[in-house]
Amino acid sequence: MSVSSIGAQAQLAIQEITTMRSQFDDLQRQLSTGQKSATYAGLGIDRGVTVSLNSQLSAISGFDNTIQNVMNRVNLMNTALGNMIDITSTVKSAMVQANGVNDGNGALVAQQTAQSSLDELIGLLNSQAGSRYLFSGRATDQPAVETLDHILNGDGAKAGLKQLIAERTQADLGTNGLGRLVISSPTANSVSVAEDAVSPFGFKLASITSNVTGAVVSAPSGSPPSMGIDFSAAAPNPGDTVTLRFNLPDGTSENLTLTATNNSPPGANQFTIDPNPATTASNFQTALNTAIGNLANTSLTAASAVTASNDFFNADASNPPQRVAGPPFDSATSMVAGTTANTVIWYTGETGTDPARSTATARIDPSLVVSYGARANEDAIRNLMQNVATLAAVQISPSNPNGVALSSALDQRLTINLSSPGGQTIQDIETDLASAQTSMNDAKTRHQQATSTLSDFLQQIDGVSNEDVGAQLLTLQTRMQASMQVTSMLFQTSLVNYLK
Amino acid sequence: MSLTQALNSALSGLQVTQANIAMVAANVANADTPGYTRKVVNQVATGAQTSIGVRVSDIQRQLDLYVQKQLRTENAGASYADTRARMYSQLQDIYGQPGATTSLESSYNSFTSSLQALSTSPDDPSARSSVINSAQLLAQQLNQLSDSVQSLRANAELGISDAVNQANTAMSQIASLNQQIAASTPGDSATATLQDQRDYYIDQLSKLMDINVVPGDSGQVSVFTNSGIQLVGTTAGTLSFNAVGTITPSAQWNADPTKSGVGTITLVPPDGSPIDMIADHAIRSGTIAAYVQMRDQDLVQAQNQLDALAAGMSQALSDKTTQGTATPPGPSNGFDVDVGNLLTGNQVTINYTDTATNTPHTITLVRVDDPSVLPLPNATTATPNDTVVGIDFSAGMASVAAQVNAALGGAGMTASNPSGTTLEVLDDGSGTTVVNSVSKTATMTSTTAGSAEFPLFTDGANPYTGAITGVGAQIVGLAGRIAVNPAVAADPSTLVVYQPGTPAGDGTRPDFIYQQLTSTSLTFPSSTGIGTASSPFIGSLPVYLRQVLSQQGEAATAASNLQQGQDVVLNSLQQRFNDSSGVNVDQEMANLLTLQNSYGANARVLSAVKDMFDTLINMAAA
Repeated sequence: MSVSSIGAQAQLAIQEITTMRSQFDDLQRQLSTGQKSATYAGLGIDRGVTVSLNSQLSAISGFDNTIQNVMNRVNLMNTALGNMIDITSTVKSAMVQANGVNDGNGALVAQQTAQSSLDELIGLLNSQAGSRYLFSGRATDQPAVETLDHILNGDGAKAGLKQLIAERTQADLGTNGLGRLVISSPTANSVSVAEDAVSPFGFKLASITSNVTGAVVSAPSGSPPSMGIDFSAAAPNPGDTVTLRFNLPDGTSENLTLTATNNSPPGANQFTIDPNPATTASNFQTALNTAIGNLANTSLTAASAVTASNDFFNADASNPPQRVAGPPFDSATSMVAGTTANTVIWYTGETGTDPARSTATARIDPSLVVSYGARANEDAIRNLMQNVATLAAVQISPSNPNGVALSSALDQRLTINLSSPGGQTIQDIETDLASAQTSMNDAKTRHQQATSTLSDFLQQIDGVSNEDVGAQLLTLQTRMQASMQVTSMLFQTSLVNYLK
Repeated sequence: MSLTQALNSALSGLQVTQANIAMVAANVANADTPGYTRKVVNQVATGAQTSIGVRVSDIQRQLDLYVQKQLRTENAGASYADTRARMYSQLQDIYGQPGATTSLESSYNSFTSSLQALSTSPDDPSARSSVINSAQLLAQQLNQLSDSVQSLRANAELGISDAVNQANTAMSQIASLNQQIAASTPGDSATATLQDQRDYYIDQLSKLMDINVVPGDSGQVSVFTNSGIQLVGTTAGTLSFNAVGTITPSAQWNADPTKSGVGTITLVPPDGSPIDMIADHAIRSGTIAAYVQMRDQDLVQAQNQLDALAAGMSQALSDKTTQGTATPPGPSNGFDVDVGNLLTGNQVTINYTDTATNTPHTITLVRVDDPSVLPLPNATTATPNDTVVGIDFSAGMASVAAQVNAALGGAGMTASNPSGTTLEVLDDGSGTTVVNSVSKTATMTSTTAGSAEFPLFTDGANPYTGAITGVGAQIVGLAGRIAVNPAVAADPSTLVVYQPGTPAGDGTRPDFIYQQLTSTSLTFPSSTGIGTASSPFIGSLPVYLRQVLSQQGEAATAASNLQQGQDVVLNSLQQRFNDSSGVNVDQEMANLLTLQNSYGANARVLSAVKDMFDTLINMAAA
């Protein structure tokens, strides 16, 4: 470059100084903002990478927020599920204790425990994370289950569990309290037991056996089925037995064994032997009447309550509970689907055929989705609800002579059902949630690493190092000072200044 | 008498020295005057009989013509680069600071973040309204960007207008100075000054456009554009520019004045008919060319990029593709597709294989309601290698089937309308063609139609369907009009509820929106400058956004680098020119010393002659 004198023409020198000045300003901006450039153009060839990095970082921070949110929800759900497991054992032990106390008050205590447990259970199922219901499937804005009062006692025109149990009990026991059985004597020497109609209610005949010598039993046949025993050729000995087997509505079976005796009057479940077959038959019929009446008031009543409760809980808004077609209920012969207008639907959340877990999903990674939804009508939870509610709903008066036996029959059934043999357990739900938690924890760790790597990378592209900029500023300052000094000297060394 | 001769010689020396000193004074005085070139006084010896004197022969301008010519060429290039760099830097500013909350990418990222939150809590009213808010912010940002790009185009339009006015002034001045110079005496100081002035105006003009200056008779010059169109001869041509006040994205330059939405530059030459300088590409450099380039290409491309982003956002969410149902096997096989819900701009895609060559082909049928736009070019869709056929739906299904049938005939297929709004596409039974699939892509206009697709973004209050009408394609300027669907903004629950009865916590639609806007690949038109027509850019919206910002940054850097390079060239040329033609005060001062000496010497001669005359006269008196 040619060295030129200074005048108006010294454009290069002046331009250099202005360029340096603007570089100076830019370095100052870099120092104060920490950003390499105020425009994409200034970022250089990696500008596109910064856009991607920012987008990735933003996505990761979004995923982290999601994880934090979902983690809270899952923790709340876990707490609720843990409490449900506690409730299961509380109720079970209350029933064991009730059976230890051999009077009606034991049942009362167990029932009270069941009520408070049910109350707690409903509270747990309606627990919320923020305003989100956790056990309502996709309907997270609605409570999962109805209130205790509505479930047990109904809601205005809508029947509750107690009413369904009462109706079913009527239907199962029948008008005469014999479990819809008709006990008759078709001939003088025989006794017949028949179902009163083809219906799902009451006792169902299973079999009749006898070791009474010469007595002829006829197995259940016909429609409605009947079975019987003929004592015409019989010579019963004391201790001979006649066993009738009945199937109950809840799928259990009961054996009723009547033993022949010479005592008169006979004891419980005994019939007095008489030389006259007709009198024996008549004695047998009397004993049978009493025995079936007792069985109806205990096991059948318990089985009826369990069945009604199963119908009540095995339902949702699109499949309302099956109810006894009536009134009259005691002679009803069929079930009919209830409606949402006349029956309380205990589960108020979303129903669907897809797995409950998939009702809430969270993307915690570009390629990873965890499922953590739950519905209160999942088998395990419904089973718990159903059994606790049944215990709370069946009224056993301390004055009821069959109270202890009924309580025992009920507790026996509920204890077995609470163990949910073979079905889904609450622990299964906990396991599902735990695996979601593990995935989230892993993803969180990955995100932390990724964030730090990506931020470093971004910093390398669009950030500045203060030391670097400081050094550049110093160099530039020196250059500017030198340049200005020289320029000023050049301006002074004009011949004009030396001509006198 | 020789003493008298000496006297005369000394006198002429004094006069010439005075003229020289006057010249030094003039040079020093004009040292800072733009366009002033250093003048020197040329002197010659004069002789009459035995007497020899000196006189001023002429005033000469110190001019390096070669450098001057180069300087003018570079002037145009430097102004072109300067103007583009300046406009690109303004354009860069509107994209915001990288990573800052006001930048487009941040708006997009915060929108997708709000979608993540909605996906996690679909039932949360605040998550829903946060999605609406961030979507509105994004839409508004696109509106603003679009407005900014258009206001830059309007600036360019004004810039052209100003530049044309300056050019007219310069051209008329050059012409009038040409005449004055022709009338004045060559070698005169007045003539030199006029030439300086003319050079000044030529320099001005050379910044505005690329010109070629040709010297003519009697000191006149003619000015041509580099493309060979004469601007100034003995008289000047006049440039006119019909500036448009409001520039919109659809206002684009067209050679046909009735279709052009922006101004064009017309030269009315001294003789001859008007010339459209833009249509003829007559101006290739300088400020004017830079403004035209920005207005008609670079900024239009920037707008296209924003429009494609807006269209992508809109269509990714609202367009639902449905496969046609296969017809029962028969002599001819094909598919039925219900075209009843196709909106103008929506498409039916037919994939078939030519069995003779086993080559797959695609025909895209596009619904149009305005027959004046037919036939549509293949570039209507961004998809490469497809044949686009516009189908006029305004005359009912029978006409539609007939049009489709006509379009498919050459490809060994038939189309019919068996019933209702069903379109049936079959092979013609000859076995030369196999119809692989027929699908339709329709814009969903309802938010509760039972599918995740819904119009979250709309064109103002109307659905964006990609319509093509007589006034242009709907995509043009979409970025300026895109808005959050008023129906969705009024009822944020529609972000979740995709059909009556959808539970509040159902994440189907939020997940869909997030997936579509972050991962789903779209095909972008080549008018964005990203990808080409034969190999269009296919990628997700964030990747496309990256490409846009990257491409714009690159273009701005290139413009700025070009400007810096041009500046260095121009400055060094200017330096060289100034070194040779400019006034160097030191040099003038040194000359002044010489001239003082010279003046003193001449005066000394005069004084000596006077002494000798005195001696002579005293001798005569004695």
